[in-house]
Amino acid sequence: MKQQLFAVQAELIKNRRSKIVWVTFIAFALAPVMGGIFILIIRDPEALAKAGGLAAKVKAMGFQPSWNSYLSVLTQAVGVGGVLVSGFVASWIFGREYSDGTAKDLLSLPVSRTKILNAKFIVYMIWSVALVISNLLIAFLIGTILHLDLVENIWRGLGEYFVTTVLTILAGLPLAFFAIWGRGYLAPLGFVSLTIVIAQIITAIGYGSFFPWAVPALYSGAGGEYKADLNSLSYLILIVTSFAGYMATITYWKFADHTK
Amino acid sequence: MQIVRTDALSKRFGTTTATDGISIQVEQGEIYGFLGLNGAGKTTLIRILLGMIKPDIGSVMLFGKLLTPGFDQWNDIGYMVETPYAYPNLSVKENLQVYNKLRGLKRSSLVDQVIEKLKLSNYRDVKARLLSMGNQQRLGLAKALMHQPKLLILDEPINGLDPEGIVEVRTLLKELSKNGSTIFLSSHILGEVAKVANRIGIVHQGKLIKELSIYELNEQLLKKVIVQTNQNLKAVHELASVNHEAVLTEEGEIEITDRAAIDHPEYISKFLVEKDLPPKQVRLFTEDLEMYFLRTIRTKS
Repeated sequence: MKQQLFAVQAELIKNRRSKIVWVTFIAFALAPVMGGIFILIIRDPEALAKAGGLAAKVKAMGFQPSWNSYLSVLTQAVGVGGVLVSGFVASWIFGREYSDGTAKDLLSLPVSRTKILNAKFIVYMIWSVALVISNLLIAFLIGTILHLDLVENIWRGLGEYFVTTVLTILAGLPLAFFAIWGRGYLAPLGFVSLTIVIAQIITAIGYGSFFPWAVPALYSGAGGEYKADLNSLSYLILIVTSFAGYMATITYWKFADHTK
Repeated sequence: MQIVRTDALSKRFGTTTATDGISIQVEQGEIYGFLGLNGAGKTTLIRILLGMIKPDIGSVMLFGKLLTPGFDQWNDIGYMVETPYAYPNLSVKENLQVYNKLRGLKRSSLVDQVIEKLKLSNYRDVKARLLSMGNQQRLGLAKALMHQPKLLILDEPINGLDPEGIVEVRTLLKELSKNGSTIFLSSHILGEVAKVANRIGIVHQGKLIKELSIYELNEQLLKKVIVQTNQNLKAVHELASVNHEAVLTEEGEIEITDRAAIDHPEYISKFLVEKDLPPKQVRLFTEDLEMYFLRTIRTKS
């Protein structure tokens, strides 16, 4: 347990000076800022008339200047953008050791290879959760300034927000394998981009609920009526895929020949 | 006590044989120099010793224990494989703190001690990406030495160091060996290996083709007496007449290769003076490790 804690601390030291941390927080913060802009537009008929495409999008979403509607936008941002941002985080945490040339220094240590990877998975989860909480805090600030209304109980929306977060984190776990197998962050980034494209196509043809990387977006409501397609099997497929990705990462790292 | 022992280690990558039946033993306190051309199999062997690559055939024993995934003496081993890299955005101190944590070391003062030892004090808070190549090498060595290991496995430890750094590392390695640490190092700077190693192994095309102590190496290095006079041809005849193995080279020098001349070059000088052929130059030439190494691998090829 102590070793695991030390490994997590080491992983945190590695990331504390990374500019990439701030890049992910700033990129993800676009969601509450955009939500704030939606609120301003919808409240101002003149701005709504001038906003053109953006106004059409706001209307299509049925967006209301309320906490519930704002939270719904944030949840959809986690379900869609979160898969990309979390994928980026996972690619960085696991792939950087190869691009920095430090992977070889992690292989012959008293702390086991599994614990080193677990530390990375833990930091990936902490980072992802910190991102969604950060967005929530920014949204709280913007919403308070804009005096949003509370039309119904907020807890249900918050619940969906955090469930979407969990689903998004699960969808990012298999990327660790691609980072280690591809010895860098290009392979996982390529993979996450591919999953986003495939998720669009599969959802459009009606099978999105069976594609693990589409599940977070569908659950968040970003796919509109397709959310109704989700069932126990959808979540099971996502959980099995995540677990398989985790196990493949551990097994590969433990048993493959490390020549780089 | 045998600190490192390998038995018939073989590893292939596709059709390439990286190591072919390598068996070596390194005793406690020994500095073992591992020599070979690029691609000879040095780094593969080092990675096998560190459990990074699994051999197809053969086994590794470290500290008398079979190297398996459950091997538990990694804190007795320090290592540096190929070019040392560090986390570029972390300072020297932070980089060492990462390994201090990963090794579960109780004393954080070890970080400061090793910074001091490797003369990195002026760079303690400098980001690794801003370090010169020599200082990156020092940081790599600091990572390997911080936990005061009993066995050091170093791949090209003096790469990129300036002459002062090379002398410092040489002194450091000798000091560690004197205090009982065992050192296994590979280097392409053969002369440097000869200055620190007690024993050397030469690997070529994945095979260990020669293993000998520095004493045996000195015995095997080619030696000859080089002489120049104003009448070299006559001098060769006079030397041959008293059974010296003397030949005139294309460079216009007399080479004498018999044992008596090598042991007592002053007698050659005296003899030539007596024959009214006073030498302009008499010197004992000893083959260096580079030449010995190339001669050895050419012979084996």
